Amino acid sequence: MASRLVASHVEAGYGSVRVLHDVSVNVNAGETVVLLGSNGNGKSTLIKCITGIVQPTSGEIYLERDGARIDLVGKSPQEVVDLGIALVPEGRRLFPKLTVEENLLLGAFRMGARSKIDSNLAFVFEAFPPLRERRNQLAGNMSGGEQQMVAVARALMSDPEILLVDEPSVGLAPILVSRMIAKIKELKDQRHLTVLMAEQNFNQAIKIADRGYIIVHGQIEFEGGSAADLRDNDMIKQYYLGL
Amino acid sequence: MLTADLLANAVVAGILLGGFYAAVAIGLAIIFGQLDIVNIAHPAFIIVGAYTAYILNSRFGFDPVLVGVLAAPIFFIVGAGIYRIYYAAFERTGQESLSGLAFFFGVMFIIEVVLILVYGVDYRLVAARYIGSTWSLGFVDLPFRLLVPFVTAVALTAGVYAYLSRTFMGRAIQAVAQDRLALQLMGANPVSVKQWAFALGMATAAIAGSLLIIIGPVEPSVGRLYIGRAFAIVVLGGMGSIPGMFIAALILGVVESLVTTFWGPSWAPAVAFGLLLLTLAFRPSGLFGR
Repeated sequence: MASRLVASHVEAGYGSVRVLHDVSVNVNAGETVVLLGSNGNGKSTLIKCITGIVQPTSGEIYLERDGARIDLVGKSPQEVVDLGIALVPEGRRLFPKLTVEENLLLGAFRMGARSKIDSNLAFVFEAFPPLRERRNQLAGNMSGGEQQMVAVARALMSDPEILLVDEPSVGLAPILVSRMIAKIKELKDQRHLTVLMAEQNFNQAIKIADRGYIIVHGQIEFEGGSAADLRDNDMIKQYYLGL
Repeated sequence: MLTADLLANAVVAGILLGGFYAAVAIGLAIIFGQLDIVNIAHPAFIIVGAYTAYILNSRFGFDPVLVGVLAAPIFFIVGAGIYRIYYAAFERTGQESLSGLAFFFGVMFIIEVVLILVYGVDYRLVAARYIGSTWSLGFVDLPFRLLVPFVTAVALTAGVYAYLSRTFMGRAIQAVAQDRLALQLMGANPVSVKQWAFALGMATAAIAGSLLIIIGPVEPSVGRLYIGRAFAIVVLGGMGSIPGMFIAALILGVVESLVTTFWGPSWAPAVAFGLLLLTLAFRPSGLFGR
């Protein structure tokens, strides 16, 4: 099973505010693709369209899996999760009054993940040792870095094929940002995941990117075929990094 | 006059009564504590459970506890239906806080009036061999009409607690009010989860009702006495914590029993509201609030 995620000519917004204009993005099986842009440019909205939280007004979003095409537009978030697409949401969105372990077990709610619950739990505890120590602590009482670990681990518990990560750096100290991003790369390699990550921390994000898109005012301004493409682009320095 | 055996009997009777209160409050611990739905009609459904036990006991001689257990699945289905109506009419449009409360208030009155029209305002009771007998341990008496409800309530509480903490649906029920969207991202449908939880809470009303009518005779408006008690227990227990709810129910039972024994029964109903006010003033998160 290898899936390619495609968003094609997506338009979306909230009420009368248009946020995405003709956005086309694709992620091939096994790739790490980053969606770069500063706050308020539409990165999260695109992630929300893919996961069914926001419905696009036009355009197509679909999965190509084993030659078949599975449309994602019109599906609810729970149906998207059932297809093996997990989201680490912006702001983490843990269940603060449940323990770390209860949060992780909820990650395995979908039927497809329940049979692998023991091995996946062992895996995430291996990947994030602090979570094993604090498994009985309430998620709301953890530090920001630990909460981000829970959020990533919880997404992995759903046994995904495609991992969407929305702004993993928000609210983390710089050293933790670089560790978290490196961890995502490590997990991706260990679990053979396909990753689409929305991130505003350009320098950190391109460390793990195979390819990337720059999104400005809801439009894809640049598509970089490699991390080097993104790093060396003059337009990026000008528009995005303000150099 | 304060004597050791009077005190011991009051405490023991209070613990037994408190166990029964746990059966009354457990449905609300789910519906109000976990789902934030102010189901003020819950005690009225308990009265329906009591009348169900009365009808099947007086017609066919069924044991009241057995009737409660058998009626629970039917209450479950009715509860699922009521949640659907509540969801479609109020929750979907975000009007649940005030309109929802009015809805359950109305449901409560309809139940009470229908019961009065059909069965009148006379007290009804059930017959079973154990009601009336007492197990004496030294100077402490354990009346079976309190002991049977206590044991049943402990089993019910343990069962619900195990369900909520050990199953996927149980954990989803605990999570649904904390973050609906995050629960969707786990692959669960929040409306189905809430419907299931509401139905589960309703199913406990069937059992609580059968216990209520074992303890004493029931008439349609008795439910009102349990509104304050049930909500006080859920708040004192820490909103949705099942062990907390059980401890809070025991505390209320013992305090009520002591007040009844030493100051007189007319003070007993004030105890629940007194505890509720003290809780809200000094420890609003309850004894076991997370």
